[in-house]
Amino acid sequence: MSTTTATHHDDHAHDSHGHPTGLMRWVKSTNHKDIGTMYLWFSFAMFLFAGAMAMGIRAELFQPGLQFVQPETFNQLTTLHGLIMIFGAIMPAFVGFANWQVPLMIGAPDMAFPRLNNMSFWLLIPAAILLIASIFVPGGAVAGGWTMYPPLSVQGGMSVDMSVFALHILGVSSIVGSINIITTIFNMRAPGMTLMKMPMFVWTWLITAYLLIAAMPVLAGALTMLITDRHFGTHFFNAAGGGDPVLFQHVFWFFGHPEVYIMILPAFGILSTIIPTFARKPLFGYASMVYATAAIAVLSFVVWAHHMFTTGMPVAGQLFFMYSTMLISVPTGVKVFNWLATMWKGSMTFETPMLFSIAVVFLFTIGGFSGLVCAILPVDIQLQDTYYVVAHFHYVLFSGAAMAIMGGVYYWLPKWTGHMYDEKLGKWHFWLTTIAFNVTFFPMHFTGLAGMPRRIPDYSQQFAEFNMISSLGAFALGLSQLLFLYVVIKCIRGGEKATNQVWEGAHGLEWTVASPAPFHTFETPPQVK
Amino acid sequence: MTAVDADSYASYSVTFKPNCSLTQSGKTRVVLLLTVIPCCIAIGFSLLGAWMVLPFVGLEIFALAYAFYYVNRHANDFERISIEGDHLLVERCTGQHVSQYQLNPYWASVVRHEHPNGELRLGLLAHGKEIEVGRYLTRKQLESLAEQLQKRMGKYFRN
Repeated sequence: MSTTTATHHDDHAHDSHGHPTGLMRWVKSTNHKDIGTMYLWFSFAMFLFAGAMAMGIRAELFQPGLQFVQPETFNQLTTLHGLIMIFGAIMPAFVGFANWQVPLMIGAPDMAFPRLNNMSFWLLIPAAILLIASIFVPGGAVAGGWTMYPPLSVQGGMSVDMSVFALHILGVSSIVGSINIITTIFNMRAPGMTLMKMPMFVWTWLITAYLLIAAMPVLAGALTMLITDRHFGTHFFNAAGGGDPVLFQHVFWFFGHPEVYIMILPAFGILSTIIPTFARKPLFGYASMVYATAAIAVLSFVVWAHHMFTTGMPVAGQLFFMYSTMLISVPTGVKVFNWLATMWKGSMTFETPMLFSIAVVFLFTIGGFSGLVCAILPVDIQLQDTYYVVAHFHYVLFSGAAMAIMGGVYYWLPKWTGHMYDEKLGKWHFWLTTIAFNVTFFPMHFTGLAGMPRRIPDYSQQFAEFNMISSLGAFALGLSQLLFLYVVIKCIRGGEKATNQVWEGAHGLEWTVASPAPFHTFETPPQVK
Repeated sequence: MTAVDADSYASYSVTFKPNCSLTQSGKTRVVLLLTVIPCCIAIGFSLLGAWMVLPFVGLEIFALAYAFYYVNRHANDFERISIEGDHLLVERCTGQHVSQYQLNPYWASVVRHEHPNGELRLGLLAHGKEIEVGRYLTRKQLESLAEQLQKRMGKYFRN
């Protein structure tokens, strides 16, 4: 044998099927499954941390008057709870799912840029440290709400800078992750996996990644202008210098509303995967699901000012944003209809993932309807900044996003660990979570309608009963999540051996690989028929 | 994978390409779709005075375009096995780099490596050195390639 070229580019490195072990396996990992696992654990840690802050908030609100924390601390708890839940818990959890599932679902060996994938994850750590460490700097953590509106954020202490820097880092992580997901989905699908054959979860993530690409630079711009206003003498948002604080709100919500869909579209993808499995029927109206997802994404960019109805804008603008917001209910309704039609006359069984999915469909729809109530301009003027809004977005984000994440974890946990989880405990977790969630947040509709403002540590005596009920529900909800942790750890440590297909009605490439999924999968792409 | 197979004894050539699910024109369309809307958003905000959105969109578009450029560099990767007379040539293009390995078909043999996880790898072995072939192929395609190569080199052996 002779080699005619002098240099031999040996790219067999990844051919070695050695399985790295020890701490460095995780630190240096470029394996999509390892990185997915790290994202999910990070997200759960942040969920517990921000959840503990929520417990602090609810403890303070258990009774009228100041019991445990001072108003400044209460504001810090509220702000950090929001920031960490959104950027530290929900978003990383979905990225964890994307890392695990997207390559497996499209028949790709890994993500397109494995090293960037590693970097995307490890950027989360300094960002989380900055956010958490801001509690301990003089003046305490950022306290102006997760929206960081000026003038409070321009006047705040060092913690504002730390939070802004943390959000910049998280933005870089999100953008890099999105580019990775987009290039993976477009370039690395297995032969025969056309766009309209992709699983809905992959579609929802593709559209979510696009939303991130479009929305994240807007947040980065807003935050940078905030920093230059604080430290470099500019007056973008400082009215005293000719700036416009309302401009920040426009820029922020132009990012902020797509962000809501960034947190909910992957949840829709999870539901569209779980429901057909346990209804033992193909997803009803696949194409309409894809188009509805795309329509939601497009509409999400033309509704931002419904968060600002009370800031003052021309009537024409108010009407435009009211109607465009209501329009979003059409594609969302298509989705809900399709999930129900998928279940209709299906051979349904009610394992834990299916229970979570049905609950999400029901509870998210309640959140959607209360959103429609808020979209009605004259009503919103009454409800703005009341507990009704708190109830609305928790019905959307907890029972929509967080409970879909829990359902997704139960659904894919056997594929990830190779063991079946404890079904009985899983159902206990489901029922405790669902009941406690409703006990916590449903009364907030009433307190909100009665006029209780959000972000306050004290309130009028008339709201005492409902607040006490909400607080009791919140403590139960918090404790229930420890059961979730126990079920997951128990499943990792052992249990009944999972088959490759795991669920009788499961279809898709991820179920063709062994359980637990081997370290390397689809190194040669499968043929999709 | 695309295979060009001239099935005659005098010359045999088969070319494999890695799986890439997006065409060149598709890549252009995707990059355009991904860049046009953020650009419009950034320009809109700049006109309203929030010009700092613009550099971030620029940075992001640069990163996105570079990612697609990087992926595109491997779009022309290929592996070609050709047999012509006494020459068995394996050509491999990875990125901008082309490697060529020449073997004598009289001495070369096809070796199969079955992995416990069900994967199959093929190699061409000659004088104690082995070159892996068919790295872009599915198991079924590898089986077919192994059969073709064995048949082809068997002819040399019989002669």
